[in-house]
Amino acid sequence: MQGRVATGVRRGLLVAVGVLYVISVPWYRRGGAEPDVWLGMPDWVAVAVVCYAAIAVLNSLAWLLSDVSDAPPDDGS
Amino acid sequence: MSQGSLGTVALGLYLALLVGVALVARRARRDLSPADHFLAARHLGVFVLFLTLYATAYSGNSLLGYPGEAYRRGFSWIMATGFMMSIVVVFHMLIPRLRPIATRHRFVTPGDWIRHRFGEGRSAVQLRVVVGVLMAVALGNFLLAQLIAMGLVAAEFTGGLLPYWAGVLGLAALILFYETLGGLRAVAWTDAAQGILMLVGLAALLAWLLGEVGGLDAVTRQVAAARPEAVAVPDAREKLNWASSIVLMGLASVVYPQAIQRVFAARDGAALKRSMALMTFMPLATTLVVTLIGIAAIPRLEHLGLLEADRVMPRLLTEWAAAGPAAAGLATLVFLGALAAIMSTADSVLLSLGAVMALDVFGRSSEEADTTRFGKRMAALGMLVAVAVALAPELRGTLWGLIELKMELLIQCVPAFLLALHWGRLRARPVLWGVLVGTLVAVALRLSGHTRIEGVHVGVLGLALNMLVAVTWTLRHDRESGAGRPA
Repeated sequence: MQGRVATGVRRGLLVAVGVLYVISVPWYRRGGAEPDVWLGMPDWVAVAVVCYAAIAVLNSLAWLLSDVSDAPPDDGS
Repeated sequence: MSQGSLGTVALGLYLALLVGVALVARRARRDLSPADHFLAARHLGVFVLFLTLYATAYSGNSLLGYPGEAYRRGFSWIMATGFMMSIVVVFHMLIPRLRPIATRHRFVTPGDWIRHRFGEGRSAVQLRVVVGVLMAVALGNFLLAQLIAMGLVAAEFTGGLLPYWAGVLGLAALILFYETLGGLRAVAWTDAAQGILMLVGLAALLAWLLGEVGGLDAVTRQVAAARPEAVAVPDAREKLNWASSIVLMGLASVVYPQAIQRVFAARDGAALKRSMALMTFMPLATTLVVTLIGIAAIPRLEHLGLLEADRVMPRLLTEWAAAGPAAAGLATLVFLGALAAIMSTADSVLLSLGAVMALDVFGRSSEEADTTRFGKRMAALGMLVAVAVALAPELRGTLWGLIELKMELLIQCVPAFLLALHWGRLRARPVLWGVLVGTLVAVALRLSGHTRIEGVHVGVLGLALNMLVAVTWTLRHDRESGAGRPA
């Protein structure tokens, strides 16, 4: 049961990572437009940096929830 | 003491440390098996595994090339932070499925997966050899790029006391020495030291640059004044290139043989997933930092005209070193960090090259000690060829088009791993033809002068065709043979 919940949460985190990747590219702004400064950077750069920071946190959590098991070696015996 | 002398002394101490690590690694050897030499007896814990993954993923190009790219392209190079992070994201598709199979069947190289998944039929053997050759070519060109960078950095670092050719020869010989002596154990331990050096050096350089200018806000305003297009929103083609780079790097980098071998070399699954959980933050600590360094260089170096990308970092460090003895010491640390990044990638690549050639291309057994010796000889041969090319500018010029192909080639191996892990019906022959078609298209486009089409990398286009061939052929075969139908 706990494993199923972890798998579901992990999938949700990875979907969120995908969405953040799409948002990180400034599709929402016209090319060549002059940006405002936000967090010390052009606004579209700040959005990308915030997305990548969020991806790092969510992806890290997804790794901690993932099941990377070790099967015992097959010795042929 | 001059900057060149300081650099030479620091280089000597660093190289002596590497020799010491190699000797300790040699003493830790358990036996002569390929698993012990190429995978450190599958015993890498979280700390060493994380640092060796880090030092291997971030090459000389990350530390020297990326600041230069950011300087030339402006803020749009923020995409590099995204595409380096995508590698750790795409690994979710590979590691949880591959790791249990790899431990059960004691895989040593990527080809062991192909052998296990597709069997020993004619098409399967051909697929293993073709994938092995593609990986070996990509590894060879990684190695060559690192050797050239090593020679250039060593010459810059020692103020010309160590000329380019001596840097290439000397450092290549040292890498071959410690890799032959200690295998992955020596490589991983030296990577750990090199990874720490890289992080410390970069943090110091960024702190100096931002402190000089007065913070990030001031940098952005100065860049906007000096070069307005560097802060402007990218055009449609650049946005497509951004997305395409995330796909290309994410997919191609998870089939790096040296990365796959580290998946096999982890002590256990828990060590592997914790290392990955840490690795996901490293683009913020490294790629974002070098991008900001390159951008901060725009107002400082704009008066020199648009510099070659690889000249930006050395120029900044030379300026920094002139600011006083403490700054000279820190600049030396950054140079050493860059050299460490280059050497740590070169040693990992060399080790994997020997393993892939011996086991995957020549089909040697992973159980015999003789395979380890054969792999070492293959690595030595690869190093000899790469050194010869690095020292011959006319050869380098001729081969440059092929050298730049590495990611486009590697990404064609993706269906044999990611698709084959997740789709049980996939067959060897369609994958083989898909790889051949994708590679042919990517190479032909690249050699005809096209690196991207409307911002999309030719390797990504080749992969789309590659997957199409593999999937449609498999489905058609299933339909004709009646397989896959419900009973």
